[in-house]
Amino acid sequence: MMNKFCAGIAALGVLSAGMALAEFPEDKPVKFVVPYSAGGGFDTIVRTFAPAVEETLGATVVPENIKGASGTRGGQAVARSKPDGYTIGIYNIPGLTVSQTLGRDLGFSLDDVSWIANLAQSKYGIAVKGDSPVNTIEDLCNLGHAIKLSDTGKDTTSSITSVIAFNIIGCDIVNVTGYSGSNDTMIAVMRGEVDATLKPISSLAKYTATDDLKLIVTFTDDTVVEGVQNTTELGFPTLAKFGLNRVVGGPPNMPADVIETLAAGFKDAVASPAIVEWAAGTSTDLSFMDAAETKAMMDELSEFYLQYKDLLQ
Amino acid sequence: MGFEALLGAVAEVASGGSILFLLAGVFLGLCFGVIPGLGGTTALALLIPVTFGMDSLDAMYLAGGVMGATSFGGSITAILLNTPGTAPNAATTFDGYPLAQQGKAGLAIGAAACASSMGGLIGLVTLIIFIPLAKEIVLSFGPAEFFLLTVLGLAAIAVSVRGKLLRGLIAGGVGLIIAFIGADTITGDLRFTGGINYLWDGVPLVPALTGMFAISQMIELALKGGTVATSSGQDEAANMKISGVGEGVLSVFKNWGVLLRGSVIGTLIGAIPGLGGTVASFLAYSSTVQTDKDPESYGKGNIRGVIAPESANNAKDGGSLIPTVAFGIPGSAETALFLGILVLHGIDPGPTILLYHEREIYGLIVAITFAAVAASLIGLVLSRFLVLITRIDVGIVVPVVVAISLTGVYVLDGRMADVLLTVIMGVIGYLMIRFDYPRLTLVIALVLGETAERSFHQVQLISDGQPLGFMMTRGISVLLIAAIIITFFLPIARKLFQKKSAA
Repeated sequence: MMNKFCAGIAALGVLSAGMALAEFPEDKPVKFVVPYSAGGGFDTIVRTFAPAVEETLGATVVPENIKGASGTRGGQAVARSKPDGYTIGIYNIPGLTVSQTLGRDLGFSLDDVSWIANLAQSKYGIAVKGDSPVNTIEDLCNLGHAIKLSDTGKDTTSSITSVIAFNIIGCDIVNVTGYSGSNDTMIAVMRGEVDATLKPISSLAKYTATDDLKLIVTFTDDTVVEGVQNTTELGFPTLAKFGLNRVVGGPPNMPADVIETLAAGFKDAVASPAIVEWAAGTSTDLSFMDAAETKAMMDELSEFYLQYKDLLQ
Repeated sequence: MGFEALLGAVAEVASGGSILFLLAGVFLGLCFGVIPGLGGTTALALLIPVTFGMDSLDAMYLAGGVMGATSFGGSITAILLNTPGTAPNAATTFDGYPLAQQGKAGLAIGAAACASSMGGLIGLVTLIIFIPLAKEIVLSFGPAEFFLLTVLGLAAIAVSVRGKLLRGLIAGGVGLIIAFIGADTITGDLRFTGGINYLWDGVPLVPALTGMFAISQMIELALKGGTVATSSGQDEAANMKISGVGEGVLSVFKNWGVLLRGSVIGTLIGAIPGLGGTVASFLAYSSTVQTDKDPESYGKGNIRGVIAPESANNAKDGGSLIPTVAFGIPGSAETALFLGILVLHGIDPGPTILLYHEREIYGLIVAITFAAVAASLIGLVLSRFLVLITRIDVGIVVPVVVAISLTGVYVLDGRMADVLLTVIMGVIGYLMIRFDYPRLTLVIALVLGETAERSFHQVQLISDGQPLGFMMTRGISVLLIAAIIITFFLPIARKLFQKKSAA
């Protein structure tokens, strides 16, 4: 009932705003906000997509870095903009979802963001040192002490995933945080100061290829790396829900036709040869979702993390 | 294998239009280096989006040109205005500025130029030699070693401020407290933020250092009036027609021991992520003072006090590439941005970076080295005009420097709060000058504080609460502990020895 009501309101907004802006995109550049500094993962994906989207959308796309306050400053800037489609942003999901679930003030509400598309999704895996005797998650749990894991910060998606995942698996962990980047967390495993690390499979791949690290489990429903167990076959289907998403959204109350135009532009961009080639070179897992699918995913994630609120606080 | 690839890279730079990108980088680097508040990090951060449309190799030349040239550019302002153009030049002010006041700015600039180029070359050679061992080097430095290195840096504070020990320690303590502002990197707890959101991410270094070094010095100059070079020094300078540049260049070769030690310290500290050039040049300076027969001559215009930090400053660029070639991780803020440029060009930095992207890495190495030499040559040619700055009325110098450095601070992240912080730190810095507290010790503690705290916490966690026992089982840790003890006791031992010989 409530949903229908909301949809009705939204539809009204769409009607009134949509008529005024039927021509999107006009001859005006689209500002694409990156909530982190230039050169990072989110910045790279935006700058790589910008020229491809320019082509499919027929408008100039200008990336703008508004970093700070754990990526919330950029989100606030988007939320304050006019919902005319000329300001969009990329969001760190589920990092922001978890923060909001835990009651932290993001300065804007994720529930109000007009979701446009999901561009990429990374799944997690756990890796140990290349020459470690540990071969399975069971071996890892039977080390005789709480498993030491390396991570960058306490609030990162991978840290949160570690806490929840090992709670589900039923093993104690010590989360050694403070490493300055995801590469550093993997090097910490190689140095042997921690037992393992949980990271996106694509990041771990760089080090497993050189046998510096060994992948022991992937948080997926199917086997993605030959000879490596997945969590679903181990009897933990929930763990395959964890992932890191690169989601595009806009200010609240964006007209539906503008969202549709933008989503179509991103959809064609994801399929363009330039993007496909770039993704293969950087082991990025492209995974396009349209506006409705993205919105559904966001709602599902909020509910999913809400169950673990107590564990994370 | 390393040297062959190097020669290939040199040939590639020399051919075609690449050299233009490199020279553009050098020019940009020099300008950003000279201007207080703007540094290599700012230049590269602003360049990242620009490189997007370029060939990846040309982007490397541009970045390398900037990285190699900024540190010499910064030494010019350090010597002439007592204001380090970039934070790593801070130690150069100790002896460089007194030389300028005595009218010997040419000598100091000549020495800085030569030490920078030589330091850059030595850093490069060390890097090439150690490439096969790069992985082992990175793997042998864990949180325990990072922590001990920060303690060594803090211990050096105590010995670098002879005669002002208590003031040095107070400044260092204040620096540590400022470093601890913000969210704890491990637990996420907020400390000393006073309800101000801006402070959650901690006190940002660039605005803090710009305020501490540039703004404070400008306040001092403005209140003093006149010109930088003292009237007697000015006459002397006028008479000498700013000669001494050649003498300065030669002085580096006369003090090759100082040069070599500075370069080795620079390379080593450069290889340790999180410590950076400010710490490298400070340690090079303090170790030179400590081992010199006449430590009292420093701070009054000893040319070795310019050679040591300047050689370390450029050698650190070579060192900071050791973690990069080993695992694709940055050794400094500049290399982090350089890796960002690679990512933007579809290259994913990792342990195979040297295997698959040899051209880019060696291209960068050659560019940095070329830039260090080229910047110094350009600097030498321009030095006779540059020293005129010391004879311009401060009524003109001060507003220009203040306006440009505050703009630079704003440009980096576009936050007005950064500008405000710069001014506040400037006032604190001025009060420190006024009441004779050493500013560099505060800055060193500020730079080291975060790494010290974080790595100590990590050692606690990985050693199951037995940090000392854990460290004693690691070879490099034991060596570092010994170095810390020596750093502490050497000055005391020397004093005892002097008393005995006097008696």
